[in-house]
Amino acid sequence: MRIALIHSTIRGDEKLLIKAAKKRKIELVPVDIRKKILNPDTWKDKFDVVIERCISTTFGSHAVSFFESIGIPVINSMKVARVCEDKFATSLSLKRLKIPTVPFALVFTEEQAAKAIQQLGGYPVVLKPAKGSWGRLLAKINDRDALEAVLEQKMVLGTPPHKAFYIQKYVEKNGRDIRVTTVGNKVICAIYRVSTHWITNTSRGAKALRCKVDKELEKISVSASKAVGGGVLGIDVFETEDGYVVNEVNHTTEFKNVQAVTGVDVASVILSYCKEVSKHA
Amino acid sequence: MNNLTTNCPICDGEINLPPDLEESEIITCDECKNRVVVSSIAGSKVILEEAPEIEEDWGE
Repeated sequence: MRIALIHSTIRGDEKLLIKAAKKRKIELVPVDIRKKILNPDTWKDKFDVVIERCISTTFGSHAVSFFESIGIPVINSMKVARVCEDKFATSLSLKRLKIPTVPFALVFTEEQAAKAIQQLGGYPVVLKPAKGSWGRLLAKINDRDALEAVLEQKMVLGTPPHKAFYIQKYVEKNGRDIRVTTVGNKVICAIYRVSTHWITNTSRGAKALRCKVDKELEKISVSASKAVGGGVLGIDVFETEDGYVVNEVNHTTEFKNVQAVTGVDVASVILSYCKEVSKHA
Repeated sequence: MNNLTTNCPICDGEINLPPDLEESEIITCDECKNRVVVSSIAGSKVILEEAPEIEEDWGE
């Protein structure tokens, strides 16, 4: 089996994949997509499977389209990427299948934002770019004054994608959320992400701690995975008084902290999954 | 690679390179703390460049 590791920079996660492949004697070829020409008429390299690990969502999205179009299965597929790279699309996919998720709305004007916030139960709410990651450009909006200030900034200084306002009800998560790693619709392991800040991304300094997966967490994670199309995912879950709710689903999930904290060899699980995907291609 | 060192393209300080270094990997200079990217590895010759800024679409 020959696997392409498509990337635009090598993170610790990709190094774990390279190391696991070496150990298991699997041919894994790192391919820096920035150095390639995505022309179906001239592309020569043969791969059984592509693992898309671009740090740039834009580059990754185009790479997935390209490799699927020339008949190479990609982890994650174009369908999964399209849903997960857009938080609004993810929320809609979860909602459609009645999977508990954070109440949300998307609007285009301040007037509609104010009304949507009332529908969501009032302030505080969280405003996020529909396409974004690592907890960047999130705003916890505590009142109408803050809403007006943040939206004016976005309307005046933002690029068009920032003028679609994805709003979530603020969920009190008591200093932590859960990152569940799933591969092929199976839960592999989970961590708590603990922070004194309301943003609990590890890239923003949250501490990773091992989390035991109970039946309810497994059930909601598997359902969320199926809702977006499966593959290799990082599912963010909040614990609430009413049970677990899914916040987001990440399709280029970072797992080095997960692997370090849980001791689960996520990289090897992903490589085994590649074999499964190539068999069914 | 074992105990390789090279110089930072920004501050010229010495950087100790990890043995499992990969092309396109971003590392941090111990001296100036700037991020630098591994442009190429050819045997023991490692070329570093200033790392690109984090873009808005970077992430998971």
